[in-house]
Amino acid sequence: MAEATARADTAALDGGIGAPVRRREDQRFISGTGTYTDDLNQPGQLYACFLRSPYARARIGAIDLSEALAMPGVIAAFTGQDTAADGLGDLPCGWLVKQKDGSDMVSAPHPPLAVTQTNYVGEPYGLVIAETAEQAQLAAEAVLADFDELDAVVDPAAATGSDQIHEGVPGNLAYDWELGDAAATDAAMAQAAHVTRMTLHNNRLIPNALEPRAAIGSFDPGTGDYTLYTTSQNPHLERLVLSAFVQVAPEHKLRVVAPDVGGGFGSKIFIYAEETAVIWAAGKLKRPVKWTASRSESFLADAHGRDHVTTAELALDDRGRFTALRVRTTANLGAYLSTFGSSVPTYLYGTLLAGQYRTPNIHVAVEGVYTNTSPVDAYRGAGRPEATYVVERIVDQAARELGEDPAALRRLNMIRPQDFPYDTPVALTYDIGDYEASLNRALDAIDYPGFAGRQSEARERGCRRGIGLACYIEACGLAPSKLATALGAGVGLYESGEVRVNPTGSVTVFTGSHSHGQGHETTFAQVVAAQLGIPMDVVEVVHGDTGRVEFGLGTYGSRSLAVGGSALVKATDKVIAKAQLIAAHLLEVDAEQLDFADGEFRVRDSNQAISFGDVAFAAYVPSNYPDDLEPGLSEKAFYDPENFTYPA
Amino acid sequence: MKVSVAVNGRCEELDVAPATLLVTLLRETLGLTGTHVGCDTSQCGACTVHLNGRAVKSCTMLAVQADGADIQTIEGLSDGATLHPVQEAFRNCHALQCGFCTPGMIMRVVDLIGQHDTLDRQTVRAELEGNLCRCTGYHNIVDAVLEAHAAVHG
Repeated sequence: MAEATARADTAALDGGIGAPVRRREDQRFISGTGTYTDDLNQPGQLYACFLRSPYARARIGAIDLSEALAMPGVIAAFTGQDTAADGLGDLPCGWLVKQKDGSDMVSAPHPPLAVTQTNYVGEPYGLVIAETAEQAQLAAEAVLADFDELDAVVDPAAATGSDQIHEGVPGNLAYDWELGDAAATDAAMAQAAHVTRMTLHNNRLIPNALEPRAAIGSFDPGTGDYTLYTTSQNPHLERLVLSAFVQVAPEHKLRVVAPDVGGGFGSKIFIYAEETAVIWAAGKLKRPVKWTASRSESFLADAHGRDHVTTAELALDDRGRFTALRVRTTANLGAYLSTFGSSVPTYLYGTLLAGQYRTPNIHVAVEGVYTNTSPVDAYRGAGRPEATYVVERIVDQAARELGEDPAALRRLNMIRPQDFPYDTPVALTYDIGDYEASLNRALDAIDYPGFAGRQSEARERGCRRGIGLACYIEACGLAPSKLATALGAGVGLYESGEVRVNPTGSVTVFTGSHSHGQGHETTFAQVVAAQLGIPMDVVEVVHGDTGRVEFGLGTYGSRSLAVGGSALVKATDKVIAKAQLIAAHLLEVDAEQLDFADGEFRVRDSNQAISFGDVAFAAYVPSNYPDDLEPGLSEKAFYDPENFTYPA
Repeated sequence: MKVSVAVNGRCEELDVAPATLLVTLLRETLGLTGTHVGCDTSQCGACTVHLNGRAVKSCTMLAVQADGADIQTIEGLSDGATLHPVQEAFRNCHALQCGFCTPGMIMRVVDLIGQHDTLDRQTVRAELEGNLCRCTGYHNIVDAVLEAHAAVHG
């Protein structure tokens, strides 16, 4: 433990990737010198306080801002009428789900600030802007708004039979989606020796990153440039949506910076009303506008997670082999479709219902419904934990009903090492795995055979002891763009990387991934340093700034190292290839005669060598270069994975 | 209202509005942004600082209540380039990820280590109930506390 954890500050050159190193970002975090969005302030900065619906569903009547506007320090107050009149676009859902019948999902308009009706408690319908945060808050409390409260739809299971929330969305149904072979599943069910049935509710939760969301928008009237500092997991996506869809500012005139971010857990992927309104208001007022959520606002207005009501049926033959799984889920999407809310209970959920098992027939149908609750979107695992919850609960129940050992029933049905690559009946191809080995290791760790003894010993003491097993699998490394775009994603899910070698041989690495606790500044430096054979200390990692990094899709779905790291490896390969041409020129040999290892180019079967640092300097002092050799040593790459990775 | 405080060894005479919270004085007036606000309701402990040597949640105390007090924040914990043993242990044990809870967590731990001659894991967990970390699952934080305790108490 403690005494065994002393770690070197930098990886030894021969340690390379995987060598334990201390995280370089920790120095600022342990000394209080990190820079989170709320730590930033700008000259002339104003503060916004949002007006939020006190009702789950209400028609907005007259809004009287006069008293608020007359209060000390108040500069402006805006409502949804103002943003709509100014042409501010709706917040889009970036993943188009196709329904069973081939039609598009029904996406209700989502104005950043509610205009005529509010549809969940906490939905913003305006904002007050003042010289201080306290003044803005006091003035917001003085706004007099009339609401005509309507019956709210809050139970997802009853949503399709309740009052219609949005015009044009009958039955509050966003989509009716399915995956898998319904007829084959029905047939296998009909022939089963045993069918286990259950209904479960995967409850809604609130992500609660420890750092509340925050934003500072500013506008430079001299250049027409907008800058938004915000708590984002993917600043380039924020810029893209704010420019292309919401139309706050043209993409090339908008810079989005996500500095140190205090955790995300999915909730900071999305493009929210507050950040949008802040950058818009900064443009209107030509002064910086800052907003920092209170924890209460986080509870109300961060996208929530989960909230599925599911019935599942598992069919088994007389030897305990799974023959079919049928799943019916109602997914509560909340009042509006959040940025990726549509994809979570469909492509990130239905596709994982095979779990770790060779169930030959699977069919899943999902109704995505609108309710008068906070929007629901990706949270920790996003759809995949929901799938695991269904599969593992019903497998455990089947074992109990049949009097089987739940571990043995799992082993009997697991996909075996010789089955890979394994095509599941729900669209994925698992690449590789040894699930039984993982299960056995877990069982050893908890002394599974000794459980019965512990249970009876506990019973003698008047205590109850139980045990449950769950075998998790996740499709990580989101995502192959070909697959994602074919399934309706509005963006590709590749990642970008740039490796810029400076003349002195130090390296600046630019990644489209974003670290909000993952430690990319350390990990990515280690990856690039190991590949170039140079010390980690001379490799700097830049992320989270659209003004510095070309493009990126950000961090979620366990994608940063698998996708973003691979982009950096690809870019570094290009750097080495280019450096090899320069080295060949300097050593006056053919490039094919050179080998690159341990940070130097060496002429094969010779003592001649040149270090990477010397090549880097020569790249910027091109002496007598051949015509086809460009100066400079900087390369970029985009990496698009061919498949997910499947840790289990 | 006038407030006289010593912050990280430096005396400050300040004029604050009566409703100003201590954390607002530290972050906004003095620019000491290492102290964070995670919940504004006393739940999370990200705002923990020392008031006369004991850990307090600075989001739940008025600045005027600190009049005459000696306050230490995360910025005042290190002696120049040398880290406090608790900071060193947090870094060494990978006891942080996003870092947002870390300053408050460290200030709490410095206090709790001073209060206990001996420590075990269960006591550490109980003593940290007022400080939330959303990333680590606490395991490595407990490791760090025990490592720092050993370093301080020898």
